[in-house]
Amino acid sequence: MNEKAPKIMMEVKNINLRFGGVVAIQGVSFDIHEGEIRAIIGPNGAGKSSMLNVINGFYHPQEGEIWFDGQKRPSMEPYEVAKTGIARTFQNIALFKGMTTIENVMTGRQLQMNKNIFWQMLRYGPAIEEEVQHRKRCEEIIDFLEINHIRKTPVGSLPYGLQKRVELARALAMEPNLLLLDEPMAGMNVEEKQDMSRFIVEVNEEFGTTIALIEHDMAVVMDLADRVVVLDYGKLLADGTPKEVQSNQAVIDAYLGVPH
Amino acid sequence: MFYKETGQFKSRYKDELAAFPLFEDKIGIGILCVLTFLVIPMFGLPGLNYEFAMGAIMIPCMVFIIMTLGLNILLGFAGQISLGTGAFSGVGAYAFYKFITIFPDINIIIALVLSGLVSAVVGVIFGLPSLKIKGFYLIVATLAAQFFLTWAFIRVAWLYNYNASGAIEGPNKEMFGIIMIGPQSAGMTRYYFVLVTLIVLTWLASNVIRGRIGRSWMMIRDMDIAAELIGIRPLVAKLSAFAFSSFYIGIAGALMVFFWLGAAEAESFDINHSFLYLFMVIIGGLGSITGSYMGAIFVWVVPVLIKEIGKSVFGFDAFVMENFSTILLGAMIIIILILEPHGLARLWQITKQKLRLWPFPY
Repeated sequence: MNEKAPKIMMEVKNINLRFGGVVAIQGVSFDIHEGEIRAIIGPNGAGKSSMLNVINGFYHPQEGEIWFDGQKRPSMEPYEVAKTGIARTFQNIALFKGMTTIENVMTGRQLQMNKNIFWQMLRYGPAIEEEVQHRKRCEEIIDFLEINHIRKTPVGSLPYGLQKRVELARALAMEPNLLLLDEPMAGMNVEEKQDMSRFIVEVNEEFGTTIALIEHDMAVVMDLADRVVVLDYGKLLADGTPKEVQSNQAVIDAYLGVPH
Repeated sequence: MFYKETGQFKSRYKDELAAFPLFEDKIGIGILCVLTFLVIPMFGLPGLNYEFAMGAIMIPCMVFIIMTLGLNILLGFAGQISLGTGAFSGVGAYAFYKFITIFPDINIIIALVLSGLVSAVVGVIFGLPSLKIKGFYLIVATLAAQFFLTWAFIRVAWLYNYNASGAIEGPNKEMFGIIMIGPQSAGMTRYYFVLVTLIVLTWLASNVIRGRIGRSWMMIRDMDIAAELIGIRPLVAKLSAFAFSSFYIGIAGALMVFFWLGAAEAESFDINHSFLYLFMVIIGGLGSITGSYMGAIFVWVVPVLIKEIGKSVFGFDAFVMENFSTILLGAMIIIILILEPHGLARLWQITKQKLRLWPFPY
């Protein structure tokens, strides 16, 4: 990535987000290059998830600009952001609990499906062809993430690690340009973390998907990420390669604390 | 079940996505069709008077199944709770009445679809609050629809053509040379008409639910934030659920008045009926088409049967049995909900699961 000038996929400029008197994000700017894995780290309450919510359109920052694909993005609702090719997983799993794994993955295809209500009612001709075609794509993703065996299990009854994987599958089914992962490895054991790391790398390499992830496990972050952003109390603390960040005194202070 | 999916391999996704992928299920549906199309119209139900079986059990059951399907789409699949069902069914019934009196030559099927559409529009209008509020507050908003519409059914005399009784009454009306509705219509024709309508509507509902639109409803139900993130517009998903649901409820309302009761006043669409339909959905099982069938049949047939048995076997008088059946039904509802909060559909599923292993459960 470093040899030629990388293409900037997304850039946030001077974001300020306040909830009443509480300042969640204060003048944060960083960019995400196309094809990289970008990590956002920071202590609890640093504003990492809020940052993702801003990118997603859940929160509308009071000040600041978001540039996506070289264009300034107007204030958008989450469903409009989804159309621009940004997918996301959540910190605390947000699967559709009443549906099976395959149905959950199929929901990721919603935007690509467009046959109208009359075809849907008949479930014949174009509607069923569309359904089959997207089902095939979903099965590929299910294969890729090795969750074939739970294809028809309601996701509510799955163990935590698998639920996280189904959530990743659902996000991948959207075939996003930019994939936001909010603590993909939270609450996992070592083996599950290894699996998840492998999937993240493979997604990045095989599909060329740009990934921005929030993670607390530093070993994972330092291994996976191409570049790291560090936030603390809503402010940008450091930005650079894992090595640079690791040796940054401000970051060490924020994580270990400094004597007052 | 005494049969399983073992050995029935599908080599195409299309086959797997079929309504009844299992061969045995197809046989089961075939048997049900033979029963409802041939056996029951010919012999009635065992142990019951033929007229009674058709007029008080079969036709109302089918009407209520359509009603329950409609409410289940809204409540069970889209997760939007409504207590305005009775009123929306009334909209369908009054619309049908207006259509067949204003245009006496209109085809009944067209009038039925149109009245469903009118009900859908009204449903969307009263569904608008769902965009801002959820749960209990939405109930209150739909209650407003219930009270306002029943008020309109009494006060707006134009709706019942200014007749003195204030009731809507089906005139004799033909379709393809057969009298379909009105006092002179045969029970048999009405039975077949309702049956075919039910089958068509069930088929359409199951198609929509398994497709893109049905999934968007379930997404909104299960996790609205994630749904929005995947690109679902809550406005479209919620209002389409209201429209689809009210369409069904409106058609059921029209069928109820003109193919079963023959005449009705505003009381047939009051809040008690809304509760009745809600019970049917909850007891049958939220988010299940089979559950809609079971719930409607259970809630309607059990009290009727209790009354009949009490009168003919034990010789109690009708008034005593009326109250007794209400008490008994209430008790049964409580017991079922304690045993299985997800309703009869889940109970049925569990039974099937157990039967798979039976008689060697380990």
